[in-house]
Amino acid sequence: MRNNQPSMRENLTGYLFIAPQLMLFLVFIVYPIFEGIRLSLFRINYQQETFVGLENYSRLFADPVFLQSTINTVIFVVCIVALTVVFAIFVASAIFDKNAKYVSFIRGSYYIPVMVSMVVMSMVWSFLLNPANGLIPFAARQLEMVSVNFLGDKSLVLPVIIFITFATNIGQAIILYVAAMIGVPKDVFEAAEVDGASRMTIIFKILIPLVKPTTIYIIIMNIIAVLKIFVVIQLLTGGGPNNASTTLMYYLYNNAFKYNQLGMASAVGVIMFLITLLLSIPQLKAMFKKD
Amino acid sequence: MFKKGFLASSMAMILVLGILSGCTGNDSAKTNGKSKDQVEISVWLTPQWKGVMDGSEKGADYDSFLKHAGEKFAAQYKEHDVKVNVEVIAGDQRDELLNVNLNGGTPPDVFFESVFAMGDYVHRGALVPLNDIVDEKAKKDIAKNYWDSVTFGDDIYFYPFSHMPGTLAYNADMFKAAGLDEYIGDKNEIKTWKLADYEKILKALKKDLPKDKYPNAYPMALYALNNQGDTWNLAYFRMFGNPFFNDKGNIALNDANGIKAAEWMKKIYDSGLTNPGAESVSSNDANAMFQNQQLAISFTNSVLASNAKADMESGKAPKFDMRLANIPSESGKPLTFTYVTGAAVFNTEDKTRMKVSKDFVKFMSTDPELVKASKNGVPVRTSVAEEFKGDNPIFAAYDENAKYMFNFTGNVPGYSQLRQILYPELQALYTGEKTAEQIVKDYQEKGNQIIEESKANSVIYKK
Repeated sequence: MRNNQPSMRENLTGYLFIAPQLMLFLVFIVYPIFEGIRLSLFRINYQQETFVGLENYSRLFADPVFLQSTINTVIFVVCIVALTVVFAIFVASAIFDKNAKYVSFIRGSYYIPVMVSMVVMSMVWSFLLNPANGLIPFAARQLEMVSVNFLGDKSLVLPVIIFITFATNIGQAIILYVAAMIGVPKDVFEAAEVDGASRMTIIFKILIPLVKPTTIYIIIMNIIAVLKIFVVIQLLTGGGPNNASTTLMYYLYNNAFKYNQLGMASAVGVIMFLITLLLSIPQLKAMFKKD
Repeated sequence: MFKKGFLASSMAMILVLGILSGCTGNDSAKTNGKSKDQVEISVWLTPQWKGVMDGSEKGADYDSFLKHAGEKFAAQYKEHDVKVNVEVIAGDQRDELLNVNLNGGTPPDVFFESVFAMGDYVHRGALVPLNDIVDEKAKKDIAKNYWDSVTFGDDIYFYPFSHMPGTLAYNADMFKAAGLDEYIGDKNEIKTWKLADYEKILKALKKDLPKDKYPNAYPMALYALNNQGDTWNLAYFRMFGNPFFNDKGNIALNDANGIKAAEWMKKIYDSGLTNPGAESVSSNDANAMFQNQQLAISFTNSVLASNAKADMESGKAPKFDMRLANIPSESGKPLTFTYVTGAAVFNTEDKTRMKVSKDFVKFMSTDPELVKASKNGVPVRTSVAEEFKGDNPIFAAYDENAKYMFNFTGNVPGYSQLRQILYPELQALYTGEKTAEQIVKDYQEKGNQIIEESKANSVIYKK
């Protein structure tokens, strides 16, 4: 214990520097997590809170809409994250060693949608896809083609949302990959070329393994972001048709703010927190592992 | 030295003046022995009519009336120096905003809205009774059925201001273009069609509407994206005689007539007699399409209808001959309903603000000039309806129509949540995911469970 005291004193300045941020973190992140866990064990109405144990959780698992929203969320996470990683690697590996202006142009083009608010993007897509007065169904009718309701067809609504979210977010991953690939030492590529390696071999055997930390970072960040997917659902489909595009976050929102079931909503929040934690721990372990 | 002395003297002067002005301020606040401290109250409303009295006023907006009422109230109020802050809330965001603010302990002081949308807040104990601000004079001037619709248990929770009867609206120009002249009613009539005639109209509109004049147009509005405008969908469920609620206050949709109604909705949708994609179209979309002459028949209420006419007059929307019709039924007895609109006071636990809020609600609901604004809907006060019936001959038609009205909420607790489970079932019907039998069965089961739980938590039922 005594040995620790000088090091504590040494580190005191550091602790003081991080104290304001730590205080905010404790108040706005840690406290709400514990409060959320507490609320998930209560039935709450305007006048009182009643302790109900795990009743909120058992009601959740008995609700087919919750199960549907969990499945949808998993589908979104798997598809959007996989598409983002594969497409971003494809674009970045194709352009990273080209002319700087060309790289900037491609990067900028893919990044523009990231800068536009998701609300605006959703409204634009709604204008395009609305089955009654949207541009795409209108053009299809004018061309006497079969008009498809992209937002009302149960088998199409998930792919459409996956595509919209992917198209809006891909710029971030491309920027990170291009930066990581530009940072790979040139002599590694030169040595591979001397050995007669093809571009495909260079990409798969050198480039992708060397940008692994970036890949892990992109996967973790995207998993967390997609788990919280909400705006596009709220504005484009309202979770429909018949809850076919409901996600956990949308289900949580409905319970908390539309149905005023705060206990149920908190239980969904706790489950989402646990899922994120479970998915992130192995990724973080891999990130910090010393090769 | 001089500068230092000057500075010190100036500071001392400012201090003394400050103290004196403070004393003077206190004196002026105590007028006639009463403290005139400032009280701010927040008043929320969802979009109703534009302008104080009329949508044609300069700068007319949804908050104009309540802002004017607030200023007029503050000018004459003697007990406090009152500031009324008015905020317009989107109808589809009402419950979200109220729930967040109620749970955060910051509800608005007053909410001006249709009673049906706010009934759940009475059951949750969030609103205070207004019995003490309703006098006999008001009770005589406003018919009993309006008081009944704002009374929960033994207490009055909303001060009725106007009402908005819900009907269908149709484009008479499109009817003429499709050769349907015989089905067009008078300008100030609410036309009643038999169900068989209504189907004939829809088919003729689909077949005979000239495509060059009305490209991309459909006969009738059908929507199920969210809970907005769902009262018309509820009315369609009653078309074949289903009562929707039984006498115990439970949903009784699952019978032969309820199934028949659901089948009818699916049939007209599948036959292309409505706009496409009803499962992804909102009532707002449908209303915009009707105003753009892409729909020949749509839903409306008295305020929506006058707003649409005002938009046509101001050139915001294309001008056409818009008329009203009842929702038809198989029996020939048409279906109609009304939204009673009025102000309610939230229990903010601040006695002063609650007192001022009640006084404000009483003032805006009884002031002889302000109550005239109810002509933008249909006045609940006989005195106002009499005064304006010459200028608004449609008031007589609404009055005549009142005998066909049904109570669409059934006064059941949990009505807001019932609305949230209706549109997913309709989406399932239109996409073919469920049959008519399945949706009425599922809606009834889920709905009755909500009603049961809401009754258990209702402060009205617990009394």
